[in-house]
Amino acid sequence: MIRSEPLSLRLRESRPLSPTLRHLSLDASDGGLLPTSMPGAHLSLTLAGRQRTFRNSYSIVSRHDERAHYEIIVRRTAESRGGSAFIYDELRVGDVISASTPNSQFPLQNLARKHLLIAGGIGITPMLSFLAALRERQQALELHQVARMAEVEVVEKLLGSFASHDINIHAGRSTLRLDEVLARQPLGTHVYCCGPQALMDAVDAAAAATGWPASHVHRENFGAAGGEPFTVRLAKSGREIAVGEHETMLEALENAGVPMASLCRGGACGECRTGLLDGTPDHRDHFLTDSEKASCTAIMPCVSRAKTSSLTIDL
Amino acid sequence: MVMESRNNAASAFAEGTKLSDFDERWLIVSHSQAIPSPHDRDRDHEFRSVQHLLIALRHRLSREFMGFRLYVIGTEPFVWKVRGTAEEFGLGCDEVRLFAIGSLARRVFCNHCRTITEGVKTDIVICSGCRANLFVRDHFSRRLNAFAGVQVDAEVPGEIPEAKELYL
Repeated sequence: MIRSEPLSLRLRESRPLSPTLRHLSLDASDGGLLPTSMPGAHLSLTLAGRQRTFRNSYSIVSRHDERAHYEIIVRRTAESRGGSAFIYDELRVGDVISASTPNSQFPLQNLARKHLLIAGGIGITPMLSFLAALRERQQALELHQVARMAEVEVVEKLLGSFASHDINIHAGRSTLRLDEVLARQPLGTHVYCCGPQALMDAVDAAAAATGWPASHVHRENFGAAGGEPFTVRLAKSGREIAVGEHETMLEALENAGVPMASLCRGGACGECRTGLLDGTPDHRDHFLTDSEKASCTAIMPCVSRAKTSSLTIDL
Repeated sequence: MVMESRNNAASAFAEGTKLSDFDERWLIVSHSQAIPSPHDRDRDHEFRSVQHLLIALRHRLSREFMGFRLYVIGTEPFVWKVRGTAEEFGLGCDEVRLFAIGSLARRVFCNHCRTITEGVKTDIVICSGCRANLFVRDHFSRRLNAFAGVQVDAEVPGEIPEAKELYL
């Protein structure tokens, strides 16, 4: 279901988990019940900063059937496009923000006989809602969480209530032997990966090498970070809009007042698909098929960029 | 590789593929003395019947790992039976390849009394459960491993067209 009416949420509580991780709890600004989400769903927040508006998606870490509030965990990154900096520096308890209805591009597979969860860093967030759901459904699971040494303690705390399950925390990638882990999974296992691109690519590669069918491999895609600046030309109106190094094409279009449909903002859902007329794209999405990408006739402006100095799109 | 019979099994293969390319070959020989080899290293195993093979297959699948592939050659009821068993163990359609050869005879599910009539070669058949004259549709249920059969004279009782042998 795609519901477009935004939710009005109030920041109920905000507490630091570490110097760069913050746990937020949001409830309905009218005090009512929120829509149920799904395990693995995310919330897209509209953050109205002084200079510009950010739309950032965060996985919901509270239980999917918790309707009194949604909980998310936000990492402050140095290369932040500004959304997480806004949450850290400007958002105060009691403030009201607009958000999308929870949306899921990363569902649990109902026919799986076992769920193998592999996460890196902040990729732990969708796994927290998975773990709660799987524990309740009494389904077989195995989790591997990679964390920097300095964050092992906070990860242990977050996973503390699941300690009786097959939970493995790795301080760094070196102790996680993906090929061995994937090769010893029973038939009917599905693997879910969320984390840095390199980890997700490594899981894809190890799964393919072990003979896993692609239909059993699932990944949560975060928006790729920025890149070289370029110009986007709108074929119908003739406008030219500059896309900066630290913003996405979708954000640049929105900030220029171009009405754009969007949902996951991570290259997964296909909502912002736009026709491409000229220029060489740097496809970073996971929605277009390989042949669509090769034909260069469409682009997902939420994550994809340009290899040429400009792109002409069908708007 | 699981085979219902040795006859024509090779016709399932693309050019250049041979039976010996498969890690293991399980074959039904319909012989009461047949016994599968107890040695895991043996690549050929023989079974007395479909039931005999399915029991061994269940045991085997329960201790297999991701990356496993199952190939099945036989009549349509047989290949779907094996596929249903594989599904119970979590194997999806990407991990099981079916190739139907031999008789086209159908298993027919009576939509009215839910009895399955085996080995149907004609487009109209008398249900082995409720004796209704059933028209054999092309509608196949993977779950039931059967074609749908609906009463042919539901509108005008007794008006039954002549049956044609279509599924030999």
